[in-house]
Amino acid sequence: MSPFRLPAASRALAAALARMTLALLALLHLALLLLALPFLSPLARAHEGHDHGAPQAPVSKTIAPRGEASSAAFELVAIPRGDALVLYLDRFATGEPITEATLEVETPAGPATAEATPDGSYRLPAPWLATRDPGRDHLDLVVTVTAGAEVDVLPLSVALPKAAESAQAGQEAGHAAAPDSGHAGEGWLHRLAEAVTNRLAARDPGAGLAAAGGFVLGLAAMGLMRAGRRAPVLAVLVLAAALVLGATAFAYEGAGQGHPEVRAAFVPPPTDLAQRLADGAVFVPKATQRLLSLRTQVAAEGAFRRTVSLPGRIIPDPNASGVVQSSVGGRLAPPPSGTFPRLGTRVRAGEVLALVTPPVQRVDLSDMRQRQGELDQQIAIVQRRVDRYQKLSLGGAVSQVQLDEAQDELKGLKDRRTALDRIRQEPEVLTAPVGGVIAEAAAVAGQMANPGQMVFQIVDPGKLWVEALSFDALTPASDAAARLADGRSLPLAYQGAGLADRNQAIPVQFAIQGGTEGLRVGQFVTVLAATDAERKGLALPRASVVRTANGQDVVYAHTGAERYEARPVRVAPLDGTRVLVEAGVTPGTRVVVQGAELLDQVR
Amino acid sequence: MLIQRLLTLGALAVALPLCAHQACAHDGTGHKGGRIADAGPYHIELVTRDRTVEVTIYDAKEKAVSPAGFKGTAILVVGGKPARVVLAPAGTGLAGEAEMPLGATPKGVVQITGPDGAAASGKFN
Repeated sequence: MSPFRLPAASRALAAALARMTLALLALLHLALLLLALPFLSPLARAHEGHDHGAPQAPVSKTIAPRGEASSAAFELVAIPRGDALVLYLDRFATGEPITEATLEVETPAGPATAEATPDGSYRLPAPWLATRDPGRDHLDLVVTVTAGAEVDVLPLSVALPKAAESAQAGQEAGHAAAPDSGHAGEGWLHRLAEAVTNRLAARDPGAGLAAAGGFVLGLAAMGLMRAGRRAPVLAVLVLAAALVLGATAFAYEGAGQGHPEVRAAFVPPPTDLAQRLADGAVFVPKATQRLLSLRTQVAAEGAFRRTVSLPGRIIPDPNASGVVQSSVGGRLAPPPSGTFPRLGTRVRAGEVLALVTPPVQRVDLSDMRQRQGELDQQIAIVQRRVDRYQKLSLGGAVSQVQLDEAQDELKGLKDRRTALDRIRQEPEVLTAPVGGVIAEAAAVAGQMANPGQMVFQIVDPGKLWVEALSFDALTPASDAAARLADGRSLPLAYQGAGLADRNQAIPVQFAIQGGTEGLRVGQFVTVLAATDAERKGLALPRASVVRTANGQDVVYAHTGAERYEARPVRVAPLDGTRVLVEAGVTPGTRVVVQGAELLDQVR
Repeated sequence: MLIQRLLTLGALAVALPLCAHQACAHDGTGHKGGRIADAGPYHIELVTRDRTVEVTIYDAKEKAVSPAGFKGTAILVVGGKPARVVLAPAGTGLAGEAEMPLGATPKGVVQITGPDGAAASGKFN
């Protein structure tokens, strides 16, 4: 229907209609602007674009409001729980809990000290939480942390539970919006929008009815306008205004003392569960972090040498170990101390360990007896001759020379006789060639030892070597480490490599540096020796890299006090305990090095 | 008319973040030669001379705010120990006296409580 074809009488009506349409448009603009205000208000509140540390609202309804602060040394999380503030203090770089620090907090009621609790957190009685200004959504505290010699002052902004959630506070909020200086105008609209949203979310029939009523009123207004009646249009508008104001009051009532039990049914109290947030990050509350024992490490870039792993075993240091062997076959007997040294006995170099008595064969025995008899006979003859010479020499019938010769002959014969006795009785003494510990003992009293048989092995436990088989020649300067089955790692110093092939590999020997406790000779180890090729990247423990369901390697970066983000990375093998992250993580990132697998399970 | 309004609104929407960005760069030396930090809706300047601590409060536009009704606490780390200084209005800002000499640039936190009871704190490194 075009207004140009209308008669003059109805043209005036059309003009009036057009004016009204314009006025309605203006009203619509105003309404739009008013509706938009609550959404713009967060922007406006952060003065001049920056946020001034106001805590972010929790991203999930199941996470209680909280606040966090961090410095180069500490990371602090505070959670209001009833009339107390629960604080968690960790080391910033490692995520290690600090349980024996002193936390002095500047509260609205003056300085107070938080008490350590058995679960590793700190508790600050906070009666001022209940009496706070309900219009305030966060609380600024200053926490002075003293942990040993480290002191730091952390400004902490704690988000507070929404005023609307506590019955009494909510009611007061309706009247006491003014103190929020400068933002008084949008306060009620903001709350109205929120209340309506909440009601719609809660599927409240009231909100639906209000919407339907508004629609019907709008239709009525349009119809009346077309009919050209102004007064009823005004009446309808007034009615609409009344409805809006009524809804406001109704929203306040709902937010206030209205139906707390209904609200409780729809909004469960926050339980602080570890969860994967909508943006893919993982939220892990401090209590759970401690349970999972999550630890981080600040990733640092460096040049690393790729290592090869070689099979090896522990050998005694050739210069600090020895064997005790019998040179003759014979019967073993304990040393004069009475007992053989047992396994593990510490011995000094030169200490007598055993005696070997060579057996005398039957033939030898008769031979010896015969010899003995001969010697005894000769001794008797020479003895008599000496006696006779001694008498005669006095008279000068026998020269002194003859007497001396006879005496010497007698002495020689006697010596031979005693030597023959001694040989029959004196055993071979086995002494320790080096100092150390008896590593192997094969001595049993009375046992017959073969010549060359090893009776004892002596090893210096502080000086052990590792012999590994390498398929390629290692450079002498390369550093190496031995990894044991129990996960321990021992630093090694290159000693030398053989040239003769053994199983298509060459033996390479390393000296174990530092402690050798708990090692035994012959134990198998994995030797990790560095090669010449150098690569740049970030070295991280192997356990920090997690393979996700899609087969991608990720590490978890600790981006907030309770927030972890998965970062896809490209890794290369580095050594037994570490991997090299070549891309995906920037230096300085706190990467989870312990508990990453558990973190990955959070859904 | 509608287009004009939309344009104005659009221009405003674009201009606001830009302005904010420029205003953001206010770290550094203040009017009294001290260090400046954000504290809630305010900017505060900290000047320490020997034992005295002086804090001047500015609003978002770097205009000095009268200290009447404000109170504050400065916790500064000096020689590995925290020093707590209570600040009270004096002259054009808040001032307090520490128990030990503080040095020129001690690190720490200054907390101010406005006349409305809202606390805000600024960190100085």
